[in-house]
Amino acid sequence: MKASSSTYQDTSIWRFFSSVRLAVFLLIILAITSIVGTVIPQGESLQFYLERFGPGFFRIIKVLHLNDTYHSWWYLILLGLFSTNLVICTLRRLPFTLKLSRRDNLSVDSGRLLKMPFKKDWEIKEELDNDSTQSIISAFKKVAGKFHERSDVDGGRLFLAERGKWSYWGVYGLHGSILIIFVGALVGLFLGFKGSVMLPEGETIDHIVNRQTGEHIPLGFSVRCNRFNISFYDNGAPKEYRSDLTVLNDDKEVFHKSIVVNDPMEYKGVTFYQASYRAIPEVTVQVAKSDTLKRSMTISAFQKALWSEEQLSFGLMQYMPSVHGRPAARIRVGDQEGRSGNFWLLKGNEKEFQRGENLYRISLSNAKQRYLTGLQVKKDPGVWIVWLGCTVLIVGFTVVFWVPHRRMWLWIGRRKGKTVVILSGQTNKNKLQFEKDIRKIEEALNSSLGARQ
Amino acid sequence: MTFSSSYLFSLTTFIYMGAAALYLIHWIFRVKKVGFLATVVTVGGIVIQTVGIGLRWIESYQLGYGHAPLSNLYESLVFFSWVTIVVYLIIEWQVKQRVIGAFATPFASLSMAYASFSPNIEDKIQPLIPALKSNWLIAHVVTCFLGYASFAVACGLGIMYLIKNRFSGASEGIMGVIPDCKILDELIHQTIVFGFLWLTLGIITGAIWANDAWGTYWSWDPKETWSLITWFVYATALHARFVRGWAGRRIAYISIIGFASVMFTYFGVNFLLSGLHSYGAQ
Repeated sequence: MKASSSTYQDTSIWRFFSSVRLAVFLLIILAITSIVGTVIPQGESLQFYLERFGPGFFRIIKVLHLNDTYHSWWYLILLGLFSTNLVICTLRRLPFTLKLSRRDNLSVDSGRLLKMPFKKDWEIKEELDNDSTQSIISAFKKVAGKFHERSDVDGGRLFLAERGKWSYWGVYGLHGSILIIFVGALVGLFLGFKGSVMLPEGETIDHIVNRQTGEHIPLGFSVRCNRFNISFYDNGAPKEYRSDLTVLNDDKEVFHKSIVVNDPMEYKGVTFYQASYRAIPEVTVQVAKSDTLKRSMTISAFQKALWSEEQLSFGLMQYMPSVHGRPAARIRVGDQEGRSGNFWLLKGNEKEFQRGENLYRISLSNAKQRYLTGLQVKKDPGVWIVWLGCTVLIVGFTVVFWVPHRRMWLWIGRRKGKTVVILSGQTNKNKLQFEKDIRKIEEALNSSLGARQ
Repeated sequence: MTFSSSYLFSLTTFIYMGAAALYLIHWIFRVKKVGFLATVVTVGGIVIQTVGIGLRWIESYQLGYGHAPLSNLYESLVFFSWVTIVVYLIIEWQVKQRVIGAFATPFASLSMAYASFSPNIEDKIQPLIPALKSNWLIAHVVTCFLGYASFAVACGLGIMYLIKNRFSGASEGIMGVIPDCKILDELIHQTIVFGFLWLTLGIITGAIWANDAWGTYWSWDPKETWSLITWFVYATALHARFVRGWAGRRIAYISIIGFASVMFTYFGVNFLLSGLHSYGAQ
């Protein structure tokens, strides 16, 4: 008693998951719920949602993870249900498909042939000689193609030309491809990483920063940005961002590529994309204590330059590319005791400043923009699985909707002292083309048999 | 310069508006000759528009930019109307029913009118920003718009279905010339299947491109998500045929809802939501 009720339950769950109705329902639910993440901004800080939506709606956002809708528990459950439905729905068709693809379409009788969607028969009083039979068969073959023959079917010869029997398997490819894409996405999620790096010109880096966690990810090799270049159209719109990259392995140059947007560099499965850039000013100053003791210092924004012997530090506070046509920089000079002062330097002019006992002369000799290139870095071993899934999806779709299973039969036999010829056929797709084709055979048979009826 | 692409596109706008009017007259007054004229005018329009698109391509080379005319909202609207007309003409030629023209050509003429007359749409040829400089641009735009245009026609057919279904008793008059519900249902299905293939290819080419440009084939950007929503809607339509009670009227409704989703993917995302596809709004 118990056993049977559990079996019943199993089948009812099985039935629930295998229904197309559930598929339609899930597709509609997915379509509607997917809207949420396009209306509510995604991936912002929780503070942002509290301020923007108020405490009431904020609670809903937090519980339902609407700040990251497409990775939320309920969306993943929906995708899980969708996959389960896909698998079970497809499996349930399997016995049916097996039956269809194993069916021997030559084991039909002449009566069944006359019940096909397309049928035509001819009756002739006399017996057909060999030549006429051959001409009928070749007329059939000319349009229908390769055929199989079985003799002694209802006392006659049966010919079957069958095409696209395999097309019933297309739906498995089509549905399976969605799962392949999911697998590819998971492989990328667990075995890959995504990060970014801001790399100044001339500098080398051996790790990147994880986009989500902020963790450092070692690359296993180093990358140097030799040069960053930006060019513009006449109207001022950006034309090209280009970074000249070199890969180093134990300080040995092993790979080189100049990357632009849409043309990344790949090395050992890690891909570097041109994503952004920043320009920072860099000035060179000449500092002299006396005619013999002088130094040339290069100062970048956000970085200190040191003259350690004199215990002086230099910083760049402000930069203007053109003051009266000349670059100007506001330089901050600090000493050991933490005292500091700052002043403007105009290129070509010399200034004096005092630190302790000493008097220094300083001048601005060079100023330029220094670039940092912003690179997106990722490793995704699953991407090829995704592309495989996409290919299978397109091929499967094409097979499901455009490859027909066509069957054309020709039966030549004798019945009630007469020769009977039956032409019949069936297709599951593109009936128009099929009818055109089979009518061609009909016309050929009409001209060779019609006169003798 | 009178013989420029923009001149030809203005001309196309009026020709398509005329063609839509002729198809409507043909349907309402059932004059055979007007139907034939409508087809002739439409074919004339597509020839002029094709020359216009080719010319605009050449003009962009003359300006030193050199890219296919598929790079901003204006050019996409022109292309949308072009594909819609092509898809419609194929159906007219296959089915030999000019009444469909009254429901399909208005999409093309509205698209051209919007491109030509809206003051917010920049119709100048602009240089390509670095993100758009890719061989995938043409493949992505062409596949997407083949999908969009098919769905526009499917929507027109869906409206026809609902009108015909509503007045199913009338076998004469203007209802009589609308093809049978059964034929319309099959046509809607075929058109959606065709559009679905192209939409899928559009999403895939977009993913490949995004992977080349940004390193992620899918980032749940609003444009991507809305294209997926559209994909879900039409996937529903394709499966609904196998559910009892869903074929026919409900699929006709889905063809209209689906096209609304297409429209939101096309315009709504650009104007109302922010994301990676912002260049489509200029």
